[in-house]
Amino acid sequence: MSLHAALVKVEEEKISSEKAKKFIASERNGAESIFVGKVRNENDGKKVVAVTYDAHDQAVIKSFQSICNNARNKFDKNAKIFLEHAKGYAPVGEISILIAVGSGHRDEAFKICRYILEEVKHQSPIWKKEHYIDGKDEWLPGHSLRPKKEIK
Amino acid sequence: MEIQLKLYGSSKILSDKDILNIQLPNNSNIRKLRDTLTKIISEKYSKSNLKNLPKTAAFFSEKDEVINDSYKLSNKEFISIIPPIGGG
Repeated sequence: MSLHAALVKVEEEKISSEKAKKFIASERNGAESIFVGKVRNENDGKKVVAVTYDAHDQAVIKSFQSICNNARNKFDKNAKIFLEHAKGYAPVGEISILIAVGSGHRDEAFKICRYILEEVKHQSPIWKKEHYIDGKDEWLPGHSLRPKKEIK
Repeated sequence: MEIQLKLYGSSKILSDKDILNIQLPNNSNIRKLRDTLTKIISEKYSKSNLKNLPKTAAFFSEKDEVINDSYKLSNKEFISIIPPIGGG
C-alpha cells in the first residue's frame, strides 16, 4: 500500500508523525519529506486558543485520494504518501495537517509535499473556526468551490 | 417541496442542527435555493457574516459532486452547502 489518507478526530486520537514515518519507510526511498502544520496562537492580531475543524468527510477523502494520485502521476509514480488532517476541536500546538512523502529523490519528495498542501487548501472541503482568548469565535473566510463563471 | 440542506462551516450558524429543512416552490433549482437563502439570511441573520454566503457557496449533490445553478431539485433531496473552504 502506498497511500494513506484520513481525517482524524483529534479529540479522540492524535495525528502522529511516528505513524507517518513508519508508513512511508522503504529501502527504495532516497528522500523523505514531512510537513507538519500546527494550530498557532495568533492570527491577524488576535490571540487564538484553539481551532475547530469541520469537514465534509466523504468529499474530503475523495479529494485527498485524487490529489495524492495526481501528485504521484506528476512527480513520482512510486512515491509513498501519508496524509492526515484534523477534524474537531484542536487547541494551540495540536497538529492540524501532516503530509509525509517517501520518494526516490529529494526534489520529488519536496515537490509532492508542497503540491499536496496547496491542493488540499484549494480543493478539500474543510473549514476552520478560530476560538479567541476573549471567548469569541469566528469562521474564517476561504476559497469558493463555486464555478467561477457563475459568480458575478 | 422541501429540501434538506446539510450544513458545513459558517453555514452552521443557520441552525443548531446539522440539517436545515428549506421550503421551496415545486421544480426549484439551485438558483432558487440561493435566492431563498439570501432571504432567510437578510431576515434572520443580518448581523452575522453570512451576507455573501448564498453567492459564494457551492452545493454538493448526494454523490458529493458540485452541482450548478440549473440543477433541478427533488422533494426531500439532501443537498450539502459548501461555504468557501480553508483547511490546512
